[in-house]
Amino acid sequence: MKGMRLLLIGCLAVLLIAAGCTTTQQATGDVGILYTKGTGPMPTLLATKQIDGYIAWQPFVEVAPVAHIGKVITYSGELPPDDRWKNHPCCVLTARTDLMSSNPAFVDAMGAATILATQYVTDHPSEAADMVADWLAGKGNFTYGNITVSSVDVLDRAFPTVKFVNEPSDQWMNGQVEFVYALRELGALTGSLKNSSDAESKAILFDTGPYTRAMAMINASSITVPEAEANPIGVGYLLSDHHASLFVAVKKWQYFNDTYGIALKPEDPTATRPDLVDLLVKGKKVATLKLIPADAGPQLMQLAATNTIQVAYVGNPPAIAAIDKGTPLKILMALNNEGSGVVVITDSPATDWASFVQWAKERSAAGKPIKMAAPGKGSIQDVMLRYALEESGLSVKEVQA
Amino acid sequence: MRRPLGIILPILLLIVWEIAARSINNQFILPRLETVVPVLLSPTVDILGTGSLVHNALVSLERVGAGFLVALAIAIPLGVGMGWSQRFDALVDTTIQLLRPIPPLAWGPLAIAWFSVGINSMVFIIFLGAFFPILLNTIDGVRAVKRTWVEVAQTLGASERQVLSKVVLPGASPTIWTGLRVGFGIAWMCVIAAEWLPGTTSGLGYLTLYAYNFGQMHYIIAGMITIGIIGIAFDLLFRSVEDRWFCWRGLER
Amino acid sequence: MKLAIRDLSKVFVTGTGEQVPALEGINLTVEDEEFLCILGPSGCGKTTLLRIIAGLDTPTTGSIQVDGEALSGPSRRIAMIFQEYSLFPWRTILENVAFGLEVQGRDREERKAAARKYLDLVGLASFEKNFPYELSGGMRQRVAVARALAIEPRALLMDEPFGALDAQTRNLMQTELQEIWRKTRKTILFVTHSVDEAVYLADRIVVLTERPGRVREIIPVMKCAHPRDRTCRDFVEIRRHVLDLIAGGSSD
Repeated sequence: MKGMRLLLIGCLAVLLIAAGCTTTQQATGDVGILYTKGTGPMPTLLATKQIDGYIAWQPFVEVAPVAHIGKVITYSGELPPDDRWKNHPCCVLTARTDLMSSNPAFVDAMGAATILATQYVTDHPSEAADMVADWLAGKGNFTYGNITVSSVDVLDRAFPTVKFVNEPSDQWMNGQVEFVYALRELGALTGSLKNSSDAESKAILFDTGPYTRAMAMINASSITVPEAEANPIGVGYLLSDHHASLFVAVKKWQYFNDTYGIALKPEDPTATRPDLVDLLVKGKKVATLKLIPADAGPQLMQLAATNTIQVAYVGNPPAIAAIDKGTPLKILMALNNEGSGVVVITDSPATDWASFVQWAKERSAAGKPIKMAAPGKGSIQDVMLRYALEESGLSVKEVQA
Repeated sequence: MRRPLGIILPILLLIVWEIAARSINNQFILPRLETVVPVLLSPTVDILGTGSLVHNALVSLERVGAGFLVALAIAIPLGVGMGWSQRFDALVDTTIQLLRPIPPLAWGPLAIAWFSVGINSMVFIIFLGAFFPILLNTIDGVRAVKRTWVEVAQTLGASERQVLSKVVLPGASPTIWTGLRVGFGIAWMCVIAAEWLPGTTSGLGYLTLYAYNFGQMHYIIAGMITIGIIGIAFDLLFRSVEDRWFCWRGLER
Repeated sequence: MKLAIRDLSKVFVTGTGEQVPALEGINLTVEDEEFLCILGPSGCGKTTLLRIIAGLDTPTTGSIQVDGEALSGPSRRIAMIFQEYSLFPWRTILENVAFGLEVQGRDREERKAAARKYLDLVGLASFEKNFPYELSGGMRQRVAVARALAIEPRALLMDEPFGALDAQTRNLMQTELQEIWRKTRKTILFVTHSVDEAVYLADRIVVLTERPGRVREIIPVMKCAHPRDRTCRDFVEIRRHVLDLIAGGSSD
């Protein structure tokens, strides 16, 4: 018996050593991608030189130059291939199909609220930037070492790089289909969208009914009062100015209530970032909304899949991937286009994408491939960065820090 | 304070911190003392729209309190049963030992699926954190009750219920109290981590995570120090009660 | 209270299934108001016998009758005093003494008054608010006696109650116990392995053999009046006789 035990331990030891050796011999790509849960860790990782750069959504792109830890080399609209990502769709409004069939008027009303708020954001960008700074940071200051900067200023800088639109136009839908291709090539689609034709993909992903009906209601200046919802509806979102329309809808509820008869009224008017909001249509309370922020798109989709949230403001690749896997969601309309950017450490020789690619090739040749961080595997930033890198002839490999 | 010596080390650490921070000169690795101290000195000021240190501390404490009370209410009776009855222990023990090693945080996704985001799922996780120390200490405490005490009570005519309530429970109470103290400490740790689950919108754990999202290290450290201070305050509270009520423990003969 | 023990034997079964006989064929009658000592070498089963009478263990064969009724479990008519660690450390002295009355559901004032009476009887009235850890060994045993007396049992069982005390305290306690017995006139069964103690205290001494314990001989000690003089001739004679019995070994 003792002999058997020794033999087993010996085998185990050999296996462990073999495993250890195999891991270190694994092939590395030209560029390594590290997934952080959300954008939170990125400034720290960059400042401590654990990564060479990152791609993130606003306002976390502007944080880097403001804190003097990095510089922006390109915004997402300019990523290669040329003109492919111009006006690329970014965030979208989604809803669960069961909610859409049980209370379509509710979804239409949410759509209308979003459209009206987006309109306001486009017409009053600096006021909107202010409200977003309030929502995200209580208009507080950010301190980076010796530098203190107002969150309002950071948001002001970030706003012009985001394009706020809602219309699910044909051009926009085609842009979405580009993401389907990109995800397919990355092997991320294994379900209903794996081999679908463009027309099939669009049918699977979109339902523009709520948008059309919402626009009609807005043009007719009368929003239909939906049936009241007995239980609170979970609405997920991300801590990004991409979702400004939600923040503005809540902060300016009185204005929307008086002007359009629809409002997202916070239950606690003193909260900077309310988590309970009442949907009011023509003065009548239709539902309690639980606003649930998450770190990244994929996390939101997880919550949608378990029916913890029924409506989500989210990036499109996570939504596409979730629908592909069978989560009962539909994409209703756009929230914004573009609005992300690539940041690298300050001492990098890169100043734009071309020089960045050059730098990456040099580093890879020298045996020290650069490491970029992206928020969550399958997020829009991840998809765009990987696609752009591969288009530029660089192989990409996920790394574990 | 009972041990004035105990304060020397923290003060030394503060000095080391300031020196290190200055020489490293990278606030992402170690922010300077002077950025953190003002945050601690104004605990009622709002931080990044998440509320003040005081407000968030109270929110976290409320959650811990709730989870802790639930743990107490279940673990103590269960522990008395398991410590007192061999049969019952044999029935339940394997299940307990299977569940015990699972870290409370691992239950996070399930907790959200079963109890929905917000205080309910958090209370569940906190309950799991506090439950096992309280249970195990209760079982130990009950088993350590001297047989003589029980037999005295029996020969004086006590029923089994009276034996349990008048002898076993009081006899086990010092050990149970230690279990409560340890359980509370773990519950406090759990609440901080539980607040990192999606859907949380307040609390000290949430505050530190939110500050992390914006790279505001000084808020993170201020949050951590606050967490530590509250932890130690409660520990001292438990210990002082221990000293007053259970001074008879260990002094019999 | 009169105790009739008939053909009592006890066999313990160990965890490994082994059978260990502890007592064999015990026949004994304890008279009312009698002070009976049970004496024997270590391991002879005297504590086991006491515990069976107290209702804490059950006999394997045989029976016990208390005033004509069969014994079935612990009874308030029979109180037991253990050798040590018997006071509840979390209760004050008064609360300890009142325990038996509390268990009976008597109301607070009544309990306290009764407890005080018995605490006074053992001479510790001024210690009612203290805790057991503040008292000496001898004092604690006195409290244990008071606690047992408080439920006004008909009989007291005492399992080497002075065994953990030093010689001087022990002698004092023996005298005191005599006094208490004289005043209260309870039936007392007293287990000891000290011959001196047995001869000093008992009306009769039951000498048990080595394991398995059987009754060797029952020796009356009536000749000496109380309080006994340890140096008087009768005392010394009886003492020698008992010692011989014990030293004589298990040849029976």
